[in-house]
Amino acid sequence: MTYVTKKYDEAFINKNSVRTNYKKLINWFKDQDNNELRKKNSDAMKFFQNTGVSFKVYSNDDKENLIPFDIIPRIINYKEWDKIVRGITQRVLAINFFLNDIYGEQEIIKHEVIPLDLIQNNPAFLKQMIGFIPPKKTYNHISGIDLIKTNSDNFYVLEDNVRVPSGASYMIENRDTMIKLFPDLISRYKVFENKNYANKLSEILKKSSPKKANRNPSIVLLTPGIYNSAFFEHAFLADKLGIELVEGKDLRVINKYLNMKTIEGWKRVDVIYRRIDDIFLDPLSFKEDSFLGVPGLMEVYRNKNVTIANAPGTGISDDKSIYSYIPDIIKFYLGQKPILKNVKTFKCRVKNELKYVLDNLNKLVVKEVHGSGGYGMLVGPLASKTEISKFKNKIKKNPYNYIAQPTLSLSTCPIYTKKGLTSRHVDLRCFALLAKEKVTVTSGGLTRVALKKDSLVVNSSQGGGTKDTWILSS
Amino acid sequence: MLGSTADSLFWMFRYIERVENTLCMIESGFQLYLLSSSNLYNEWDAILRTNSIRNHFLKKNNSLDSLNIINFMFKDPKNLNNILTLIGKARENARRSRVSITLEVWEAINTCWLYLNEELNKKINENKIQIIIKNTREKIALIFGFLERSMLKNEILNFCYLGAFIERFDNTARILNTRYYLLLDEKKFRFEGYDNFQLEMILRSISSYRSFMWKNQNEIKANKVSYFLISDKDMPKSLMFCVNETIKNLKSIHKKNFTKNNSYLNALSIQTKIKQKNTNFNNYSFLNSLFKLNMTLAANIEEEFNFQ
Repeated sequence: MTYVTKKYDEAFINKNSVRTNYKKLINWFKDQDNNELRKKNSDAMKFFQNTGVSFKVYSNDDKENLIPFDIIPRIINYKEWDKIVRGITQRVLAINFFLNDIYGEQEIIKHEVIPLDLIQNNPAFLKQMIGFIPPKKTYNHISGIDLIKTNSDNFYVLEDNVRVPSGASYMIENRDTMIKLFPDLISRYKVFENKNYANKLSEILKKSSPKKANRNPSIVLLTPGIYNSAFFEHAFLADKLGIELVEGKDLRVINKYLNMKTIEGWKRVDVIYRRIDDIFLDPLSFKEDSFLGVPGLMEVYRNKNVTIANAPGTGISDDKSIYSYIPDIIKFYLGQKPILKNVKTFKCRVKNELKYVLDNLNKLVVKEVHGSGGYGMLVGPLASKTEISKFKNKIKKNPYNYIAQPTLSLSTCPIYTKKGLTSRHVDLRCFALLAKEKVTVTSGGLTRVALKKDSLVVNSSQGGGTKDTWILSS
Repeated sequence: MLGSTADSLFWMFRYIERVENTLCMIESGFQLYLLSSSNLYNEWDAILRTNSIRNHFLKKNNSLDSLNIINFMFKDPKNLNNILTLIGKARENARRSRVSITLEVWEAINTCWLYLNEELNKKINENKIQIIIKNTREKIALIFGFLERSMLKNEILNFCYLGAFIERFDNTARILNTRYYLLLDEKKFRFEGYDNFQLEMILRSISSYRSFMWKNQNEIKANKVSYFLISDKDMPKSLMFCVNETIKNLKSIHKKNFTKNNSYLNALSIQTKIKQKNTNFNNYSFLNSLFKLNMTLAANIEEEFNFQ
């Protein structure tokens, strides 16, 4: 099979010439027996199935789905990675400054860098948190930053995820799988480890403990339960961190402190690594009919008797309309130019930008400001005329709810098929941890790959797969 | 440890044990079917009653057809204790307590679940029944093997074993309860149609026929069978063995305070009862009271350790 490169391909310049990062890999690949590879490919799926690595897609049946895994790793060299690390570090710090400010003095609004109504009318802005300083002044302990590449030089930031970003467990499991399947390949490269993510996460959660806890802090991971799509990850991380995996029903507020129900009675909890959204945290403060959270939790939090990571209210900063202001936010708080660029974004809330969007829907990707997982978006070039006109009305009705971006020529990487290598579009989720104003970016990340030809949608909820991501240490 | 985790561990192993016990019964019935035995219907009748599913089965079927029964016990959703549902519940509890068990134990449970789903979701071929039973029992042995070899010897393990032994006690007590009349003193209560074959089937339904015969020089007698199933402390499915193991695990969880707890006291009273009745245990009310005490014991455990 001939390898076709239409867009920027990270491995091949053209079908005959291989980029430096991938030379050893492609040479190795040529030496492999295809029957053997086919077997390893199915072994990989079996490995995931047996360990129970699964991802539930919300649908009527209760089947657990495996995220397809591609056995060809994605390779990023140290120079590229170094820039990514600096760029993400800058971004994560700026976001934390922004959150402290926006729930505090709101200097950024006073300086007219960000319009007031963007915050005020935003459902992700928690008025309950105004004037509150979270323990250690940290909001976004854990961030998942999504990057895309369009040409040889530049990674762009596509999205910041600071609510409850997931995917770190797949990053670690993917590496384990590659080491098991292809030890002879990985040993040809010098690849950074990624499993220290769990240790680092454990460290930052301990550091985030409220002042009053003067002993080894008791940390729990709060999950919505086994029916949640990311439950595998919740159990995986709780296991790696050596902390209790709890549901709301295991927790109770007693005498101004948060406690969990153990076999020996109630025990104090100091830090919650929560994997449920803000509105489910506490039925007394938010959604009344939520059973996922703990009644009275916010009161304990406000008294600084517990740390919640990420802090309630963090969601305001990864809103897609705020995204377009992140370069300004970086400049405002750090006085620096952004190291990683944003993707050009049209804000439908701004009149002339709205006009441009409406006139050019067939060329643009339109997203809901609060959407995620690839739902509720319009991919202009692939949409029918009726779909476009329907979406046009939706935007006109509520322009504040939408942003638009040009269709990007995402880079491609080779994936394995029975007939040989073929190119598919990819993105990259990187994981950054923040404690005491120090950012740690895990060396690696989760490469998501669109498995359908020419598709740009990489979300696992929509049939995307993943790859192991190798950061070369030299 | 969270109360809810103890709950999941306990129930995970109740369900796993229940799968094993159900398989043994299916196997003993299926053997009779293969031999076209004249006792076949009696045996299925007893098996269905032991599992309290006779009425459910007869709602849909008008005869005790062997393959229908086997299908019912393997996978019919009308039977809440079908193998497929039981292993699903075991795995669900394993997922809930995933953080407490080792990767080895988890994988052993998960692959057993995957295997049964693959085999039982298609039409069950008569020729494959024995293979499915054998393979599943091997996979369950692997779960218990990894439990023994890969887990820390702490209260997590204790709760797993508590679930397994409470369930096993329940199963043996149910079998005895259903067929107590076979174990009556043969000199006083000989009745028509009674033969050693039925005693043999009791032993086969808990896969213990060979070990009984080995221990009793190939001689099968009602009083010996009842001693074997109730009081023999060496026999891993006897009531005595199960309650002894339960006591051991309770002591280990409670550490110093065990004497003050209802669960421990109740387990002790079961043990005493079995000891005292040593010679004259073969009556229905005695077996029934043990059966009920075991249920109370399970409830004590759930309460004392803050299960949900």
